[in-house]
Amino acid sequence: MDQKILMKNEIGKFYIELAEDYNFYAPVNEKGIITFKKVLNSGGIVLDYLNSKVPPKEILFPKMEVLFEYKLDGKEVEIEDRKDLNEKNIIFGIRPCDAHSFILLENFFGLGDTPDEIFLKKRQNTTLIGIGCNTPRTTCFCTSIEGHPFNKVDFDIFLVDLGEKYLLEAVSDKGRELVKKFSWLKDAKKDDLKQAERLSKEAEEAIVTKLDLSHIDKVLDPNFDHPIWKEISEICVGCGTCSFLCPTCTCFDVIDETNQYNNKGRRVRIWDTCQFCLYTLHTSGHNPRDSCIERCRNRIMHKFSYYPENYNVLGCVGCGRCVQLCPVNNDLRSIIQKINQIENKKKEAEKISA
Amino acid sequence: MGIETENQIIEKDMRDLALKLLTNHEVDVIIGYTKGTIPLSSSPIMITKPEEVDKLVWNNLCYVNLAKYLVPRIPQLVDPEKGNLKIGIIAKGCVGRALIHLAVENQIDLENIKIIGIPCNGIINRKKIEKEVGEKEILEVYASGDNIIVKGKNFEQKYAFDQYINELCKVCKVKTPPSIPDLMNSCMGECQEISSVEDSFSDLDEFEAKSSKEKWDYIKTTLETCTRCYACREACPMCYCNLCFVDQNKPVWFSKTTDLPDIIVFHLIRAMHLAGRCVACGACSSVCPMGIDLNLITRKLEKIVKERYNFTSGLNKEKLPPMMSFSMKDTEDFMLEED
Repeated sequence: MDQKILMKNEIGKFYIELAEDYNFYAPVNEKGIITFKKVLNSGGIVLDYLNSKVPPKEILFPKMEVLFEYKLDGKEVEIEDRKDLNEKNIIFGIRPCDAHSFILLENFFGLGDTPDEIFLKKRQNTTLIGIGCNTPRTTCFCTSIEGHPFNKVDFDIFLVDLGEKYLLEAVSDKGRELVKKFSWLKDAKKDDLKQAERLSKEAEEAIVTKLDLSHIDKVLDPNFDHPIWKEISEICVGCGTCSFLCPTCTCFDVIDETNQYNNKGRRVRIWDTCQFCLYTLHTSGHNPRDSCIERCRNRIMHKFSYYPENYNVLGCVGCGRCVQLCPVNNDLRSIIQKINQIENKKKEAEKISA
Repeated sequence: MGIETENQIIEKDMRDLALKLLTNHEVDVIIGYTKGTIPLSSSPIMITKPEEVDKLVWNNLCYVNLAKYLVPRIPQLVDPEKGNLKIGIIAKGCVGRALIHLAVENQIDLENIKIIGIPCNGIINRKKIEKEVGEKEILEVYASGDNIIVKGKNFEQKYAFDQYINELCKVCKVKTPPSIPDLMNSCMGECQEISSVEDSFSDLDEFEAKSSKEKWDYIKTTLETCTRCYACREACPMCYCNLCFVDQNKPVWFSKTTDLPDIIVFHLIRAMHLAGRCVACGACSSVCPMGIDLNLITRKLEKIVKERYNFTSGLNKEKLPPMMSFSMKDTEDFMLEED
């Protein structure tokens, strides 16, 4: 049977058995902020949280990552490759929306003739143990993008918080293999499964934000020059909050840093965003995205038009972080509604003129 | 005390003034605040049609410094045909200060701006409340009497208004925009004549009593979660450089990584650039997605500038700020201070 029961007081035992072989990442509360950290004991793990401020993408795609380091010896260059890529990781307690974002990240980093080996290797060595969202926020809208607060397909192992205990289900082969380690886990009973089903339904009903994203790519495509972009970007101040804290944003900048005093250097990748003035700034001085108007448009276009065009899936997981955290409350939900109205308004105008 | 009881009067006066300005074509656009789509928020709004003035609100969550929208970096307020638009701006004290200081730095022309002054009694410290409430969703927040009421599913909490406003608001001496003597017509609504402020800076006592090491530790632990999204910079009315020092890459002056020393260098140099310019609006801290509170750093700079140069930013259009002027009598002793 794939469904087991993990008592809440057994989390420590569960952790200890895994921490031997894996880097164990889990949500912890640091100065009032929920964040994913590599934990050294199970004491600080928080599982009854809303969602982390910084999405768990930062474990595989950190805000700053040294790609390689080098040493110069005369004319000889010695490159030190990353040694940690073969380490095994567990990301514990992540939400279904964030787990889905890992699929989107893989699409991006795996595309083309030069896949990003650093990311892909880490992803390959990572096992996702997630947990259902019993209390989604009013800003969550995963059900509008074919997600669900209890969607388990993107996990290896999926937990449901049943109060005193967790229902633990192995979803993938990787997950099933791992669960074999825990011979002490008891099988789940029918009542447990029923309770999980009820919680799943309640969570689904708790999602009040419903967005129509069915035609958005079709609406966006012909409206690249629509005046609505000016309206949408009017109050944007041009910071990177929406994209830095977005679980699906992948833009990065690469910097070479040299330390000429000891003949060393490193190549670093840091997060970048289409909202910054340096993004797509050409050496000539020309910038095709010269103001907030083009930059705001790019963010929306990328997620809801270019991404579906390239990968056949929306580039958003409905976590609502950008809604919660935008400094000027430029709400993505309102933006989507405004875009959907473009077509409605056009139809109305056609009706009147007919 | 919160302004729940009197804000209807403030809002009505504000909307009436905005309506008058728009219908008489004295301004092309009103920049103000509107209700946020989530609790603990508000949103800036630009109104061009008289029938939309009812969207304007004023409450203790109007944390953005609207003067930001007037600086040249933000292009929307320029009409390709009409040129610079005539602007009406809803201004609490620190917005008024920012406008005056921007005029001193020749960034805006106050002749084209109508200031609709409103009295402010403090902005709710949204990050502090979020941290207190923890991992429960906040569904409703409002000021009532001496308290801020925070409601969610199955809980209701009260927080003392005086304690849960921004640290800078607790010591604010400029609640309404300072009036501008030679431009009396530009300030409508509530403005005040104010030429200097007395400030004991006693809120800094605790920080100043710390040793150098403790101060350094404070700065490190405060800044370590920074993601370098630059929300603080972009929300700051005084950060209007076309290209920030940290973005300059010909040559690269400062590294853009999130190594702690690089984060600290960004924040401390930005703070230095704000010496004698910061108008203490607290927008940088209100907007930080990671809840970093920068107020102690800017407040310390404000104190140094006040003590050495007897200058407070944004009060007087005629007085040159210390960083824009030079005198042989300028003291330099603070450069040698150990802490």
